[in-house]
Amino acid sequence: MLENAWTIPLFPLVAFFLLLFGRKSWGEKAAAWVGSLAAFASLAVSAGVLAERLSGAENSLLSFSWLTLGETVIRFGIEVDPLNALMLLIVSLISFLVHVYSYGYMKGDGRVPVFYAYLSLFTFSMLGLVVSANLLQLYIFWELVGVCSFLLIGFWYFKPEAKQAAKKAFVVTRIGDIGLFLALLLAFWYTGSLELGPIFAAVEAGQVPAEMVTLIAVLIFVGAIGKSGQFPLHTWLPDAMEGPTPVSALIHAATMVAAGVYLVARTFPLFEASPVALDTVAYVGAFTAIFAASIGLVQNDIKRVLAYSTVSQLGYMMLALGSAGYAAGAFHLMTHAFFKALLFLAAGAVIVALHHQQDIRKMGGLWSTHPGIGWLFLIGCLAISGIPPFSGFFSKDEVLASAWMDGRPGVFAVGVVAAFFTAFYMFRLFFLVFTGSFRGEGNRGSVPKSMLWPMGILAVPAVAAGFVEYPTPFFSRWLTEGTGLAAEAGGTVPLWLPVLATLASLAGVALAWAMYVKRVLPADDLTKPIPWGYRLLKNKYFIDEIYAKGVVLPYRWLGAFLRGFDRFVVSGLVRFSAGIFRTVGRIGSAIQNGQAQTYALVSLVGLVLLIIGLTAGRLFG
Amino acid sequence: MEKYLLDYNWTVMAPELIIAGAAALLSIIDLLMKEKQDKRVLASLGFVAVLGALYFTVSRFGQQPYEILGDTYRIDDFGLVFKTLLLTGTALVLAVSLQEAKRKEITAQGEYYYLLLTALLGGMILTSSADLITLFVGLELLSISSYILAGIRKRRTDSNEAAWKYVVLGGVSSAFILYGMSFVYGLAGTTNLYTAQERMAEAMGNGMESFVYLSLFLMLFGFGFKVASAPFHMWVPDVYQGAPTPVTTFLAVVSKTAAFALMIRVILGGYLFLFNSRTAEGLELLTTALLVLAGLSMVIGNTVALRQFNNKRLMAYSSIAHAGYTLVPLATLGPMLFESTVYYLTAYLLMTLGAFTVIGIVERNAGTGDISAFAGLSRRSPLTAAAMTIFLISLSGIPVTAGFFGKFYILINAVATQHFWIAAIMLATTVVSYFYYFGIVRMMYFRPPVLEGKVKVPPASALVIAVAMIGTVVLGITPQWALEQLGEVNWAAALSPLNGGAPPAQ
Repeated sequence: MLENAWTIPLFPLVAFFLLLFGRKSWGEKAAAWVGSLAAFASLAVSAGVLAERLSGAENSLLSFSWLTLGETVIRFGIEVDPLNALMLLIVSLISFLVHVYSYGYMKGDGRVPVFYAYLSLFTFSMLGLVVSANLLQLYIFWELVGVCSFLLIGFWYFKPEAKQAAKKAFVVTRIGDIGLFLALLLAFWYTGSLELGPIFAAVEAGQVPAEMVTLIAVLIFVGAIGKSGQFPLHTWLPDAMEGPTPVSALIHAATMVAAGVYLVARTFPLFEASPVALDTVAYVGAFTAIFAASIGLVQNDIKRVLAYSTVSQLGYMMLALGSAGYAAGAFHLMTHAFFKALLFLAAGAVIVALHHQQDIRKMGGLWSTHPGIGWLFLIGCLAISGIPPFSGFFSKDEVLASAWMDGRPGVFAVGVVAAFFTAFYMFRLFFLVFTGSFRGEGNRGSVPKSMLWPMGILAVPAVAAGFVEYPTPFFSRWLTEGTGLAAEAGGTVPLWLPVLATLASLAGVALAWAMYVKRVLPADDLTKPIPWGYRLLKNKYFIDEIYAKGVVLPYRWLGAFLRGFDRFVVSGLVRFSAGIFRTVGRIGSAIQNGQAQTYALVSLVGLVLLIIGLTAGRLFG
Repeated sequence: MEKYLLDYNWTVMAPELIIAGAAALLSIIDLLMKEKQDKRVLASLGFVAVLGALYFTVSRFGQQPYEILGDTYRIDDFGLVFKTLLLTGTALVLAVSLQEAKRKEITAQGEYYYLLLTALLGGMILTSSADLITLFVGLELLSISSYILAGIRKRRTDSNEAAWKYVVLGGVSSAFILYGMSFVYGLAGTTNLYTAQERMAEAMGNGMESFVYLSLFLMLFGFGFKVASAPFHMWVPDVYQGAPTPVTTFLAVVSKTAAFALMIRVILGGYLFLFNSRTAEGLELLTTALLVLAGLSMVIGNTVALRQFNNKRLMAYSSIAHAGYTLVPLATLGPMLFESTVYYLTAYLLMTLGAFTVIGIVERNAGTGDISAFAGLSRRSPLTAAAMTIFLISLSGIPVTAGFFGKFYILINAVATQHFWIAAIMLATTVVSYFYYFGIVRMMYFRPPVLEGKVKVPPASALVIAVAMIGTVVLGITPQWALEQLGEVNWAAALSPLNGGAPPAQ
């Protein structure tokens, strides 16, 4: 199976071309089948690959040289080690389920084949990113997933917000991409290779100056910040919720945004070699975790709450990686992919049932009419809040444990508080949507079956995925086998740690219950004493406004200045040189007067000039 | 030692014999057919013959070089590579011609098909000649067939004008080549290229340099004319515009490739001693002369193209510019001379053939050869527009297409041999070329269509476009693979004389 791993990204690629060229002729159903079948084929091969990896096969690397420039060979290839075998399964599984789910969600949209074409292109790019064996190839796919994200966020391009959001996502993530690109160039400059293996070897052998390792690692992390929506480049992710909900589930919750985390994990040997880089990752992650969670407390759009929760959870993963918790970060990436995709799909079902109403203040009482969705949503909430024995409990526990064991009590404390916040806003969401009485207008529609069973499947790993690590740490041992990375933090984790984390989560749930079900503690009582606090959170710390005033405006001024410069200086030069070319062209076509005599004469004069010019000095001089 | 005709291993000439036989056969069948009969069956016969010749050419790869007919004709890998290109190009041109003939554009159909074959035969002889006489015969066979082809629409004045100019100016260039060859014979007393080379090297040492250089420069006139490089390019726009589109395609692709084979063969075969000369003065002279031609072609081709509004005229100037690029590896004697030249010619063949095929379709549909015929093509035939865009992107040398890597390897040649000024001209004029190539793209995508309705693409043309497009993209994605394949060819055999091909003495 491992030698067939290269076929995994190809299925969606074929589907993409089929759908793209057949977009006029395929019906909705046919398009859904093509896309879903391709994703399923990828899933089947990925499952085979993962099974083989689990039974202890060697790492495999297939590559061919693409370009030879003197000594340097640029190769393209695919690599399968435990981390990307795992990613392959996660990506293809969620992609497949989202493909199926989308059939119900996108019904009657009119551009369903195009939608599926984009989804397939995304799946191809993401799978290609995951198996990339070198940085250049990774970068190409990295950009490709960015393009797909742009296309899908702006899928409803007739909505101005969607158009705006797509643009914002593209521009903001580009800032991070530049970091990654610089890292790639630096790594190539110092190690002479773009392959991950030789780069790690060169770093380990001390061929790269220590401060350069730090710079490369930090620049890679800048790329990850952009893609994974970490502070301060997180602003695009909540806006990206303007895209269709299945897209939010696949790209902006489970897979693409996790690519940043994956990138850091993939290049982890670089980070391990640089304490400064690790600190950066840990602190940025921790700050993002609590920062986004606090914004999530007061949002009223169901998808935005989930989006901030995604940002916050990605912060968790970064926090784990920064605390040397390689396995913990990957573990949380996996469980988060499952439960967050589940939550988004369930939110999508709610949105469909309420005829595209997304404001939670106009929901309520959905449990009575849609208990199925309610259960699924509840499972997702319990998992993300870290209530045992749901999957989130185990992974969050490992994340916190690695922070504690790495000697970062501050980061640990932030993580616990963020866990409390998470539990609170998730259950606030749950209670507002599913309990109480319906506060909206109109009737509540039904949800198609094809949307329900993908959620049912996702619910299984959302509940049970934690047990790969308990009672024995099977998962982290498998993941770190042969990589030279530590499976778990040294020493034993104190027993009070999981208890504390669980208590924090339960406190959050209880508070939400008290505020929104029992109403013993009305929300107004909390916000009134500190209205500025509430406003601050409600407006997301005014980050967008700060960027608009502090970054965009100066850039506009700079732009205006440069435009003047461009208009009068650069374009003058351009016009001047274009004028030269035009003049040459005019002379050339003037000689081209149609007379054969002239033609022969020009040729002859040319020859004579050539002979004289080249030989006169030699023969007569 | 006397050698008899039957002593030779004639199978090595199978491709040439097939084409010659097919041309003769077609002319006889044409005689027997009625005036009004549909003659497209001839095209199919010709097509089959070309494929057969292609088969024999390809199957000959990797074998020892062989000389035949008193060492005047040699079959080596160098010739085989070029023959493969010529045959492929002709096969595709024949496929496109089918529809051109269908709409009664070309009245003399029978002649059209077998003249294409004789022109091809001339080109094939050019690539394989080891003797000035055979070279000239091949050249004239190619040229004379092309003159008639250019004027095959005999009732149209522009076609006649094109043919007339082509004959006159072609005659001038042939005269120069012949004059140059006569000096070679005068110096060496032989017409065999490799023997002539040895004797001319001696002559160089005996104070006859000026005659050696004179012969070279006189021939350069003719070569420059044939590959359409400036300042011998003046005929190109008029002939390209006046000739029927498939003939233009043939001239731009097959004829030019054959001319490059001729040029490389004569310069590397006949004047190799210049490269080994002790003073390196001769080498510098030759390099500078060729680079001047290359640079002039790039500048003139790309700048005058800016002012063209006729598709075929525009492509004519573009073809002049491309001749300039292709000259660079030969001029600089770069590390990858053969590989990069052939890679570029292959890329050029694919993208130019594709572009001309699309131009033919669009012209016919719009009834005008103006660039405005492309207006709104993306809405009337999105696939054709997409294919044309790929060809134009490749022609302008933007990644990831065959044209990009072709230019890239040529640039490496220029830079590796420290000829930075030609690299600079190449880059600058490439940027200029974006302007006119993207003028067509702008027409296709951003201008509203003038005509209504879909553009009909005949199946044969669609096939040619698809082949060209896939080739352009695949070569652009796997350049290394193509280069490795080309690297395995035994190029050096083209440089050295050989006497081992003769049959053993009886």
